Amino acid sequence: MQIGFFGSIGDRLGRDIVHRPPPQTATVADLRRSLAAAFPQEEAVLTGSRLKAVIGDSVVGDDASVAGIDRVEFFPPVSGG
Amino acid sequence: MNSESSLADHAFDVIGEQAAFLTASAGAGAIATFTGIARATALDGVAVDALHLDNHPRMTLASLEAIAAAARTRFEIGRLRIVHRCGRVAAGEAIVFVAAAAAHRRAALEAVDYMMDRLKTDAVFWKREDGAGGSNWIEPTAADREARARWGADHGRN
Repeated sequence: MQIGFFGSIGDRLGRDIVHRPPPQTATVADLRRSLAAAFPQEEAVLTGSRLKAVIGDSVVGDDASVAGIDRVEFFPPVSGG
Repeated sequence: MNSESSLADHAFDVIGEQAAFLTASAGAGAIATFTGIARATALDGVAVDALHLDNHPRMTLASLEAIAAAARTRFEIGRLRIVHRCGRVAAGEAIVFVAAAAAHRRAALEAVDYMMDRLKTDAVFWKREDGAGGSNWIEPTAADREARARWGADHGRN
């Protein structure tokens, strides 16, 4: 699965990475936990409510399904221009 | 299409934008424009060499278009223009240009004021200040949020 990170966390983890979550990963919440396991230094950010998950250019909640999804993006709070 | 928003990944010609907007707005009684310049100092006084505006390949431009569309529903305006930089913006370069044309000055001035307040808080950018002392990701200030709140929450965030 492709993961896109923006802003500050993109600087720290890379803007586009490939992550292979375990097969039982069903929701965004599961994906966050899988990412937190891969990047334990970022666990608080990855599982926190300030980091929004985006699928198909829409912000989604933690209960959103990731079944069949090949790219999920994560937005820290936007700065505005 | 009267409303047009653009992302610019390099320095753009502000005078050229103004001239093109003026030419295209023939018949308007009032044209208001605003140009924002990247400052050479952060709010805490630290020197800033450049801003880096991280952006999303589609959602950033969509957020500019949504702000322009919201201005159109709110004010009696004709043409609109938003040009916003993305990527690296050196201190002293224009970072944003906003223009509105209307029959009368109040609508044009208020539309530009509104679009800037929305852009400063709701536009999908992540802004980093880069200087000799390091890099710092920044978020809207309390003043930015208060300015945004003046217009109410009727158009929501983007």
